[in-house]
Amino acid sequence: MTVPVPNYGLDTDRILATDSLPAALRRRLRGQYAVDEFGADPHLMDLSAGLAPLPVTVEHGEYVPQVGPALLVANRGLGFLEPLAVVRAVRVACGRRTRVVGAPEVPVLGDALRKLGAIGYRPDDVAALLRAGNVAAAPLAPTWFRSGPGEPPRALLVATLGFPVLPVAIQPGFPFGRPGRPWRVRFGEPLFPPAGTGADDQLAAAELAAEVQTRVQALLEDRS
Amino acid sequence: MRVLVTGMGGELGTRVAQLLETRPEVDEIAGFDFMPPRRRLRRATFKRIDPRDRDRLIGFVTDFAPHAVAHFGVYEPGSRMGPREAAASTEACTVNALGAAQRAGHLGRIAVRSGLEVYGRGRGHPLVPDEEAPLAPTTPYGRTCLEVESLALGIGRRHDVPVGALRYAVVAGSHIPSPLGRVLRLPAVPVPALADPPFSLLHQDDAARAMVEMLVQGFEGPLNVVGPGASSPWQAVRLGNRIPIPVVGFGWELAAEVAELAGAPIPPHVVELLRHGRCGDGARAVAELDLGSLRPTQEVLVDLYEWATVLRLEPTRRVA
Repeated sequence: MTVPVPNYGLDTDRILATDSLPAALRRRLRGQYAVDEFGADPHLMDLSAGLAPLPVTVEHGEYVPQVGPALLVANRGLGFLEPLAVVRAVRVACGRRTRVVGAPEVPVLGDALRKLGAIGYRPDDVAALLRAGNVAAAPLAPTWFRSGPGEPPRALLVATLGFPVLPVAIQPGFPFGRPGRPWRVRFGEPLFPPAGTGADDQLAAAELAAEVQTRVQALLEDRS
Repeated sequence: MRVLVTGMGGELGTRVAQLLETRPEVDEIAGFDFMPPRRRLRRATFKRIDPRDRDRLIGFVTDFAPHAVAHFGVYEPGSRMGPREAAASTEACTVNALGAAQRAGHLGRIAVRSGLEVYGRGRGHPLVPDEEAPLAPTTPYGRTCLEVESLALGIGRRHDVPVGALRYAVVAGSHIPSPLGRVLRLPAVPVPALADPPFSLLHQDDAARAMVEMLVQGFEGPLNVVGPGASSPWQAVRLGNRIPIPVVGFGWELAAEVAELAGAPIPPHVVELLRHGRCGDGARAVAELDLGSLRPTQEVLVDLYEWATVLRLEPTRRVA
């Protein structure tokens, strides 16, 4: 018996060529699309990506790994469009999908966001996502007036200790910035805890959290 | 090494016995179940015993005096028995078989079948639990699996016998009787109206391989065994060219009643899977037991739907 290729040629991590709309609809009707363990539907993610085009300029996209896990920690203001900006920036930088951390655990909306690649805020789920080799984007605490980076996600950093952490600075464009200006996403160098750090090392995680916050602040202040 | 396989009449028990027959380190294999194996066994001895027939079961196990036990006498509700009968048979089989094996005096290792159901599912439970995740089952079958693990661990601790537990994803395949398989093969399948949660499957051959490796290596502790990737109710139903019937809230009880009338009872752990999904992190089992590549969930699903395919073989030569 011949068995079709698992996941029907759709990579859950890397964006590939997309179907035409009729082909995509046929694929949906036949059930020939991928689903991953965290509830994401990459086919749907690709189909919906064009619905919210957000212009972004990416700086230092080379820091985002081409393969393997990474936790991106970014600043946010209101928090609605920043995740979208990071997703688009990673897509531009290396063609990978990004899993946004922070989907609300409510029916319907939470399920819909998980289909589009988001994941809840449970540290063990985020750790499992990174173990599976994904890129995840977690926000710093919101700063309503964009007064700088908010508090880092310490619980997440404890659970994900050992995976590379990339500080990311986001400067808003339209509609929160000047009209016509694109969103600016700057990636910082990956950070790791000191060699020999054990799992669940609270001190190392706290130091890493402080370092991430400092680096995001520096990236935000760097106007070059 | 003498190996006792409880639940040998089931598809998994029989397959494990067949694989053990090929291992040089295994000298003798014996097993029992309430029904006979469906495949040919060459070296293994089978005795038809109802797990609740305590005296016969204990006598058989004591006479065999196993060095190792592969415990497949964990009966899934809705598979070959109703929920109450399955729970009672599982408890009787676990207590009597493991107790008698230990008292026989040669027991050196135990490997038990368990399931991802021990982690529970839904709000407050991890999406992809690894072996360190809290054990908080949310269905009767999950509680049964946890009880089996606890009973085996209790015997292991008291008598210094290593105990391993294989927490399987839903075991499926072309010919294995499983409630989820029966439901997905119905012409119209209930699916959650407002969600589409992911679930993983495990092929029966991979499940059997994992048990043999755990037993032969004497691995101690729990391991998740999960086919890579996932599916979801809507995707699975469309892949099988079935009609999805969206269901919400109390509609699940009605759907379960209707499905039971159609010959496919939906026990609570399958309802939970359809409503909330079920996945697990199986990386540790692959590494520890050196399992190589497991069949992906999507392949298992295709296998499940192709079970009834009739192949017409043309004769190579006509004799009449």
